[in-house]
Amino acid sequence: MIAGSNLEQVLRSGNFAVTGELGPPKSGDFEVVRKKARILKGHVDAVNITDCQTAIVRMSSFAAGLLALSEGVEPVMQMTCRDRNRIGIQADILGASALGIKNLLCLTGDHQKFGNHPQAKGVFDMDSIQLLGMVKQMRDEKRFQCGEEIKSNEPELFLGAAANPFADPFEYRPIRLGKKVAAGANFIQTQIIYNVEKFAKFMEMVRDLGLHEKVFILAGVTPPKSLGMARYMKRFVPGLDVTDEVIDRLSDAKDQREEGINICVDIVNRVKEIEGVSGVHIMAIEWEEAVPEIVKRAGLGPRPEPQGIEPRLVSTAAIEEAVERARHEVRDEIEKELKKARSEAEASRGLLIKEKEKASSEIAGLRKELEEMKDSAARHAAEVKRLTAELEETKEKLQQAGPLEAAVGEAVGRPASTSHTGFDQGTMTEGISSGKLSPREQEALSSLNLGLKALQRVLGLNEDQFEALRRFLEAEFLLQLGQVAQPVTTAAVTPPPVEVPVAEASEEAREAETRETAVRRQKEVVNLVAKANVLLHKNKVEEALNAFKEALEIAPEDEKALEGLNKAKALLAEKEAGPAEAKEEAIPPAEGLPPCPEEFTPEEWSRKWVVRYVAMGNVRLMKGDNDGAIEAFKKALELDPGDEKAKEGLERAKTGKGIHVPEVSAEKAAAEVKEPAPEEKKEAPPTEVKVVEEKAPEVEEAAPKEEKKEAEEAPRPAPRAKLSGAPEHEGVGSLEVPGLEKETRSLAERAGSISEDLYKEPCSGSIKDVIIGDGEKAIAVGGETTLPFYLFEGDMPNPPRVAFEVLDSRPEEWPDVLTRYFDDCLDDPVKWARKCVDEFNAKAVCLSLISTDPNGADAPASDAAKIAKEVVEGVDVPVILWGCGNADKDTETLREVTSLIGNKKVCVGPLSDANYRTLGATAMAFQLPVVASTPIDVNLAKQLNILLENLGVSLNHILMDPSIGAVGYGLEYTYSVMERIRLAALTQQDEKLSAPIVANLGREVWKAKECRLPSDVLLGDQERRGVIMEAVTASTLLLAGGEIMIMRHPKAVALTEALIEGLM
Amino acid sequence: MIIAERKPMNEILDMISGINRLLVLGCRGCVAVCSAGGDKEVDIIASALRLGRKKAGQQIEIDTDTLVRQCDPEYLEPLKERGKQFDAVLSTACGVGVNFIADRCPGVRVLPALNTTFYGANLSSGEWIELCAGCGSCVLHLTGGLCPVARCAKRLSNGPCGGSVGGRCEIDPNVPCVWHRIHDRLMEQKQDKLLKDITPIRDWTTAGHGGPRRRIREDLLP
Repeated sequence: MIAGSNLEQVLRSGNFAVTGELGPPKSGDFEVVRKKARILKGHVDAVNITDCQTAIVRMSSFAAGLLALSEGVEPVMQMTCRDRNRIGIQADILGASALGIKNLLCLTGDHQKFGNHPQAKGVFDMDSIQLLGMVKQMRDEKRFQCGEEIKSNEPELFLGAAANPFADPFEYRPIRLGKKVAAGANFIQTQIIYNVEKFAKFMEMVRDLGLHEKVFILAGVTPPKSLGMARYMKRFVPGLDVTDEVIDRLSDAKDQREEGINICVDIVNRVKEIEGVSGVHIMAIEWEEAVPEIVKRAGLGPRPEPQGIEPRLVSTAAIEEAVERARHEVRDEIEKELKKARSEAEASRGLLIKEKEKASSEIAGLRKELEEMKDSAARHAAEVKRLTAELEETKEKLQQAGPLEAAVGEAVGRPASTSHTGFDQGTMTEGISSGKLSPREQEALSSLNLGLKALQRVLGLNEDQFEALRRFLEAEFLLQLGQVAQPVTTAAVTPPPVEVPVAEASEEAREAETRETAVRRQKEVVNLVAKANVLLHKNKVEEALNAFKEALEIAPEDEKALEGLNKAKALLAEKEAGPAEAKEEAIPPAEGLPPCPEEFTPEEWSRKWVVRYVAMGNVRLMKGDNDGAIEAFKKALELDPGDEKAKEGLERAKTGKGIHVPEVSAEKAAAEVKEPAPEEKKEAPPTEVKVVEEKAPEVEEAAPKEEKKEAEEAPRPAPRAKLSGAPEHEGVGSLEVPGLEKETRSLAERAGSISEDLYKEPCSGSIKDVIIGDGEKAIAVGGETTLPFYLFEGDMPNPPRVAFEVLDSRPEEWPDVLTRYFDDCLDDPVKWARKCVDEFNAKAVCLSLISTDPNGADAPASDAAKIAKEVVEGVDVPVILWGCGNADKDTETLREVTSLIGNKKVCVGPLSDANYRTLGATAMAFQLPVVASTPIDVNLAKQLNILLENLGVSLNHILMDPSIGAVGYGLEYTYSVMERIRLAALTQQDEKLSAPIVANLGREVWKAKECRLPSDVLLGDQERRGVIMEAVTASTLLLAGGEIMIMRHPKAVALTEALIEGLM
Repeated sequence: MIIAERKPMNEILDMISGINRLLVLGCRGCVAVCSAGGDKEVDIIASALRLGRKKAGQQIEIDTDTLVRQCDPEYLEPLKERGKQFDAVLSTACGVGVNFIADRCPGVRVLPALNTTFYGANLSSGEWIELCAGCGSCVLHLTGGLCPVARCAKRLSNGPCGGSVGGRCEIDPNVPCVWHRIHDRLMEQKQDKLLKDITPIRDWTTAGHGGPRRRIREDLLP
């Protein structure tokens, strides 16, 4: 035994060995290796881990081999000479051996040219045979390649090598195998075998050399995954002999994969019978799943129990697994705890909420009762008044009666004191007034009491009712005196509805006291204590303290409250720095602020109150309580006369501009509503609020957000809505186009010190002048001695012109975005042409005689001629008459036209090589300029010009139409042809190409589907799209040398004219 | 013979940007034979550079000259002074010549006009082939006179790899497999024993992996 690997043991025991192959991933993903290893595990004795096969960078064989080993799969590490020199190779071998790798396949390696780094430097310090020798020396002689001794732990490796029975020269292959064996190979894996006959022959030669007794030979097999793969291997993998039989079998197969496995199994069965074959090496490239199947079908399973697999690094995986397991356990544990805690918290929260609900419903009940009381009190008030009046009367009478006064008083008071000793005059007055009332008022009060008691008797009120009534009246009384703080206002100010119960709570505290109901008081105490505890928990110590105190005020002996209070105090002491929030339960009286707490400077305190008042004002404003708001803002201004927000608020309150959402635009409202919100949140809620209703801020926040969203979204649908309505000029807006900013400095100035001859290349040729139309509005085009707009190089006497296209009959295929501009005149070409001139300031008109098209309406030439005549006479700008494009019909039509219009200098076209003779002669007779139209080609254009000239048409009367493609529809070709025409005319003085160019682009652009598809989100507005396409096409053609642009859309025309103006 | 080829003209033009006086210096040695840097090529290069500069709208003054060899000191002697009259000397010699000028002529800026490609032979007019790697440790007696170091893509020492099919190398079907030819020749010469012997791992120090190489012959030293 050399290395004691499983493979070695299987082979030495005489078992037919099976090895597999595992291609490491092109990534650091060890899961891939694991997965493949697991597929192969148990079905093969060892697995080759390829070393960057075909020179493509992958996870190293060493690392992937270790990963496989940790999965319990024995690796055959591969080592190539391509990537490492003898230093690197030996180092890796030592490492591999140390980490439990026991098989090493020694290869020269595929040439780097085949891989993904063909520019790499191939190392090839040695070849595979020398590598075998080197490793054998390390193992058997314990010497490094240089001869130095390996002092201990020399690598114990079972060495493999490759052999290709199908490479040339064939007869040398067994000899080379012999060299490998001599160098140190213990086992051989062959190239993939499909040609079994050839392999058998090879083996015969191997046996002749006796090599089969010196080395274990494993026959390489691969299931062809598909016909394509088989064909590829046959054609492109050097040294791989895929037989036609295999190809045929695959191409005949229904299920190629199934057949692939069958082919492989057949080959295994055949090579198994060849003497000297000790096993098979199954290379299922990226098809590891096939291996178990092949092993099973070839009767090679089950494999012997693996031996000698000793992963030294098993710990990595094992530890990982253990850690993972532990992690899971801990996570479960934590989650359980968390769940428990959460449910507890949930429960207590529920309890709290329940308590809260209970409290608030009670409060609501009390409120209702109070309301009822008030009602009945009001009812009784009248009675009291009456009685008082009576009393006064009686008093007066008594005064008159003098000595009788006391007796009467006694008479009135006695029954009361007998039945209600606790409510005698003295205690009551003391209770309310604290001695602050004037004697007169006291007198009034006591009288009131007396009256009340009488009333009680008369009305048969029970004690509670009476008490309520009494309190109410007292309060009314004192209110009238203006000496009472405003607890009720507090409630009103506290804005968010959710907070009301809480605000009510403070009121309730007093109420409870007043009512002296033991049960309620108890509940209140419990509530307060609970709340305080929560607060305490939240570290809001001061608030908690206050709550405890409050609770103790109600129930001075409450143990829990006491305990809590102490705790809170202790905490507070600890938390010295913590700013103690003052209890903010009521708005302070107008005439002064509550005493400034220690932690604030008086300025800060005052500022705080300003903010508070402003907030209050805003809230009231929002509620529509303008007077209240004014009051609040005024208070704020008293404290800080300069406060902008207060001023602003006051102004708003005074002018009655509440912050009413519906009144203002949604957007503005959102902004405004949002503004006071934070202040309101900060200042308005009394301390309790935060505790009892944590959700409150959320609700507040949500509201403005929603509004804002609406505000944002609101404007968006608008344009779409407008579009569908399709009023005039919607898609492109105004037809006005602002002029381009002109360059005021000459190029020479801008070029600075660069001498002119460096950038100037003046042309020697020139373009012919052609005049279209007659009279004042005749236009001249051409005449330039330079490339378009190269004004620094030459002259461009006439700017390019745009002609509006007018059709002689109603257009059928114009999109709505185009026809909408001519809706009123689509049926009347004269009116249409006039509109172009009058409204859109057309400098020229092109009348398209489309109705004459024999493939269309096929209107008689005479009709079209009549229309043409009317149009020509109807406008004063030059007219281009453009036929339908059918040579014969155009000849007919245009001749007719010329005979009708006589001497008017219209321009006629198109003249093609088919009708130039007839039309040319006509035009010549009337001295009309013509449009010479050719398919897009420089030579054809030139040829037609020559023909026309030969006919006698002066070049001064020819406009060229080189055929136009719209942007996206061949514009670049047009551009290139036009440019070449222009360059020939200007730089090569080619006179025959020096005619001005007319570009009939409108019809090309507007037939493009991009101009016809309706507006949508992706393509945008239809009209804009069309306009831009037309304008871009026109600008491009202008730059290519076009002199007349025939266009359709007024906006596109405006844009184009602005460009021309800007460039001239 | 050393085989070289002219660098792309644009590369040379980039190289000499900013240079106004240039000497294009040829060599009548190997590079003249392989039609890369002799008199004729010097003139061609000089003309091309003038044209290129003119096209770019720049002036350049170019002188030309060709030495018998640029790899012998006596021929370089006059260049020591003359070279200083130029902004740079563009050498059309192999790398040896360029290096030698740089070594021997201080103050002269020398630039390479050629890529020195390999040691090879002229297969036919206009075609050269690499035949020697200059590895310093010749094994041709073992390989039938055919060099596996220069002519095998993997520099194999022990016979053809598995990619040898039909006498062709796997990296390019136009490249013959040198080991296949070695095999055939040795078989033909009845030297097949050589095919069975294992060639041990090479010592690459002679191939330059031991640092720059130098040869001294005592008897010839001055």
